[in-house]
Amino acid sequence: MIAFIVLAIVALAGALGVIVARQPVHSALFLIVNIISLAVFYILLSAEFLAAAQVIVYAGAIMVLFLFVVTLLTAGKDDHEPSEHLAGQRGTAGVLAVVSGGGLAVLGVVFPSKKVPLGLPHNFGNLHGMGQMLWGPDFIYLAAVALMLLTAAVGVLVLNRPQTKSRPEVRLEERES
Amino acid sequence: MMVLQVVLLVIKIVLLIGILMGGFAYTMLLERRLLGFFQLRLGPNRVGPGGLLQPIADGLKMALKEDLMPLGADPLVYRLAPVITLFTALCIDAVIPFGAPIHLFGLSVNLDIANPSIGLLIVFAFSSLGVYGLVLGGWASQNKYSLLGGIRASAQIISYELAMGLAVMGVLMMAGTANLEGIVLYQKAHGWLIVPQIGAFIIYFITAIAETNRTPFDLPEAESELVAGYHTEYSGMRFASYVIAEYINMITVSGVAVTLFFGGWLGPVLPPIIWFFIKVAIFLFVFIWIRATLPRFRYDRLMNFGWKVLLPAALIYFLGTAAFVTGVI
Repeated sequence: MIAFIVLAIVALAGALGVIVARQPVHSALFLIVNIISLAVFYILLSAEFLAAAQVIVYAGAIMVLFLFVVTLLTAGKDDHEPSEHLAGQRGTAGVLAVVSGGGLAVLGVVFPSKKVPLGLPHNFGNLHGMGQMLWGPDFIYLAAVALMLLTAAVGVLVLNRPQTKSRPEVRLEERES
Repeated sequence: MMVLQVVLLVIKIVLLIGILMGGFAYTMLLERRLLGFFQLRLGPNRVGPGGLLQPIADGLKMALKEDLMPLGADPLVYRLAPVITLFTALCIDAVIPFGAPIHLFGLSVNLDIANPSIGLLIVFAFSSLGVYGLVLGGWASQNKYSLLGGIRASAQIISYELAMGLAVMGVLMMAGTANLEGIVLYQKAHGWLIVPQIGAFIIYFITAIAETNRTPFDLPEAESELVAGYHTEYSGMRFASYVIAEYINMITVSGVAVTLFFGGWLGPVLPPIIWFFIKVAIFLFVFIWIRATLPRFRYDRLMNFGWKVLLPAALIYFLGTAAFVTGVI
């Protein structure tokens, strides 16, 4: 329980930091803190494979790509905010936050929660259990998601295809001349 | 009983850090001496007998140097980056079994800090975090050479990590477990995995050199183009942390290679832990040998090699192993 509270505080602080930080790189760092504390949550649930996968995929691959782009874009720039293009978005966001938060609170009071059955299924989130689930009865969904992601990746490549048929070296020479 | 286990754990952690730091110091000395011999000169041999006290002199010099920070640098991230690099480098070794379990005070003591059932994945999780130190260090210095070095590091490590993961999956499938001790015990029963997995091992070793930013893959710190890459602005102990992390990463990838492909601590006559260190030392020698022999890659060739040669080759070997293990072939 103590571990849960400490972790929850760290995770929430990370999540808040993402939106509060002025520097995009600091936001990315807070997001990594959040991701890693989620991974430790998985370990508390003894879902060790989920934890390792969370760190490898999200912290190790996706966030590195994020940082790759963010460091390139923010290098040597001042960190004060650009002027706002959309007038009054702060006020609107505040109103929306109050409305949605209030709505959730009302819902919570009107429909009090039932007791959630505790106890985790056998093999929850470890290598064996995940493998059984992904490659067993649910394989069709895994294949569908994989196909969708592959299509998206190939689609990006096709959409960004250069119009001219020239090879990169030739284009480089053209640009230089 | 509980107290005894905690005490043992603390002793093991202190020993591991001591071994890694000593290993770093003398790998570095060995590298400088060997590079000297490869280039027909003597190398550092003045401090102590045969230069054996050179690491202490280097350490003193680093500790006493002024710690500089550029004016435009991001102070928090600048200080954090070397810590991340060193921390992740040290963490990985916690799951590598250095020897067979020994019996002490009626307890069976594993020669690793932790023995999780997914040890191999833990190794990958921590090593994938190591790149943050390089990227953030390069970015926080606010220096264009540092930034280029950091960006190169992230691009290179992401590209080569894929092939490395695929190469190691073959071992995981053959041994049927991701527990590093289990993989060694499998090799005790069925022979070293280097024999069936020779292709995977070659891919693993190439990517390991790239992951540790060693020549010929040391593009992130290419001194002829980028001054010193991501650690251009660092000095004193912060610079030393980067160097320590690089050498400890070398020891770590060697240890993982020994565990996965060369039977870990297995070997005749000598005690298991000695065998493990002999095998790691051979790997470290090969690392230095490669550095003395090969010139640096050109950047586009590095990327082409990673994505168009190593990744497909690893994928094909992986699928072949899968077909073999499941009995399709």
